[in-house]
Amino acid sequence: MTVTTGTFTTGTVSGGRPGVDVGRLAGGTVASGDRAGDLAALCAQRIFQPGPEVYITGNPYRRPIGAPGVGERDFSVPATEAEFLGSGQLIAGRVLCNAYESDMILLPPAGLGTAKADFDLFYGDEVRRLRDSVRPGLERYSYAFLDDAVPVPAVRTFDELQEYFLAEVGGAGAPADASGSNPAVDLTAPVGGTMRFITECRHPEEAAALHLIQLALDALTEASAMARNLGGSYGLEQSELFKIFVDEFGYGVYGAKHSTIFKEMLASVGLHTDVHAYWNFYLTSSLVGVNYFNWLTEDHRGVFRYMAAVSYLEWLFAQGFADTGAMLRAVYGDRVDAAYCDEHAHIDIHHGRMTYENLLLGLARAHGDLVVPELVRGIEDTKLLLRLGDADFRAQVSWADTLDEHTAAGAALASAANDDGVTATLRPDDPFSTGVHDSDRLVEVTDGEVDVHAWATDRPHRLGKGDVLLVPRSRLHGLKAASAQARVTVRTIERNPHDD
Amino acid sequence: MTRVVVMDLSRYNTVMVGHDRYFVLDTDGRRLLVRDHCPHRGGPLSLARRTPDGRRLSCPWHGTKVGVAAVRRTSLPMVRSGDEAVVLLPSDTGPAPVSVIHKEILANLPPEEPCAADGLVPPAALERDMNGEAVACL
Repeated sequence: MTVTTGTFTTGTVSGGRPGVDVGRLAGGTVASGDRAGDLAALCAQRIFQPGPEVYITGNPYRRPIGAPGVGERDFSVPATEAEFLGSGQLIAGRVLCNAYESDMILLPPAGLGTAKADFDLFYGDEVRRLRDSVRPGLERYSYAFLDDAVPVPAVRTFDELQEYFLAEVGGAGAPADASGSNPAVDLTAPVGGTMRFITECRHPEEAAALHLIQLALDALTEASAMARNLGGSYGLEQSELFKIFVDEFGYGVYGAKHSTIFKEMLASVGLHTDVHAYWNFYLTSSLVGVNYFNWLTEDHRGVFRYMAAVSYLEWLFAQGFADTGAMLRAVYGDRVDAAYCDEHAHIDIHHGRMTYENLLLGLARAHGDLVVPELVRGIEDTKLLLRLGDADFRAQVSWADTLDEHTAAGAALASAANDDGVTATLRPDDPFSTGVHDSDRLVEVTDGEVDVHAWATDRPHRLGKGDVLLVPRSRLHGLKAASAQARVTVRTIERNPHDD
Repeated sequence: MTRVVVMDLSRYNTVMVGHDRYFVLDTDGRRLLVRDHCPHRGGPLSLARRTPDGRRLSCPWHGTKVGVAAVRRTSLPMVRSGDEAVVLLPSDTGPAPVSVIHKEILANLPPEEPCAADGLVPPAALERDMNGEAVACL
């Protein structure tokens, strides 16, 4: 069992919403007129525009959406599963992440200092108005595909739910132990799946860092989505969730808070610990996955899906983080502080049992068969998002790990490129942002030198004059001039999808 | 400096010493002032229920089973005269503030039925704070 890109911890639609109500989505699109204008206006805000830096430190409010003009895009037609890793999902994912996090308190650890004006803008009236205007449509764009893509198992009763859940977690490699509830954890199990994939690639430290960065999207604000479900009045299940939250927040001890020990893990391997320092390197699937949990907790009709999704993940996390810790130690050796993984490998044994018995089954017990389909839906959504996320992460590592080979491939394909080149001049201090293309591209350097940032590394892949890089569709990357001036021409190319 | 607290066990059952909490545990006909702290993650054992055999407490946070015998070993030295108890506080608590209160103690209730889910706290587990009694320094 692996945690895949593992960005879900904590954190819908017959037409886009949790809880079934098709009609309520009417008008919830970002199509034309005012809402489209609002998206453009939101993306044009100073804090959402790219700056020259690759890593964004000391300011959690600066979150570039993409290159100029991304806000003009039409999001009125929901993305399909085939478009899951498309540029639309990346843009929508960034905007939604900003929207959800604007109701969390984020302060720079070194003090507000020079970020005060950005703080005022991020939490200000205008950004919140624009956020509230565009969010429903973007949620529909991002998540409506789940309605078609997610199977609907014939699980309708409490007993069927119990049997279904245990079969699912067993199938995911984390069967119940002899007690029938606790997820079994084997600390000596050989590392497999994506964790093994990381250790066996050519640049395991960069690949492991990319994995940690995907985790950081959620882990540096760990359990903030969960916090939205602490209020209200919903019986024993509310108290059970609170107990889990208390663990996540380290019993009120800052040093024991999960986000704190996650920072220590990042620092131990030389990574920045600022919230969203690696904003440019969040994969599309990671944004969609973490946003999913923010969505379900922001829209309280998603409460049943959320509780089921959390139950499924908490059950899998114990072994998953044991595997992650083993991977990190294999890659970084003794210098990594993997206490965060050890903590989850232990406490999630409890959380797996607590969520299963007292949230998933507790809600089914309290509210009857009526809620069972929504509970099942939360698990099925999560399974799909995990699978898609794992595929995205592996594809990114496979590409970033072999940029030299993709440069050779680009040269070989250059003569077959379409005649639709777009040329740009880059300078070192130009705004930098990452993005994905919806088709395969060839990036040719016609003058100067360019660094390709495909993952967070101090040694980006450098292209010289005449080099051509093959960038498969959906692969996240950013270009930065490595000479005083560089010129690049980007062309599309038709390839067999199986050529990646 | 050694400190003691004098408390009326007919009115109070909990002592707060700084961040540490002790509660009166009824065990084998004796009343002991034991630490309200699960050795697993610090959960409130005063809100634990006894296992069906009565020999362990099931912590409300994670369901960790803690032997009553082990809990007894955390008790503070106490001299009783009727309902009045003189309790010797730990010597390493320094000037930590001390208060004596009354709380709901679930750990003294009869064992839970075997079918009850471990760790779930009954809604009746409500805390009732009361004024503390005098603290004397020797």
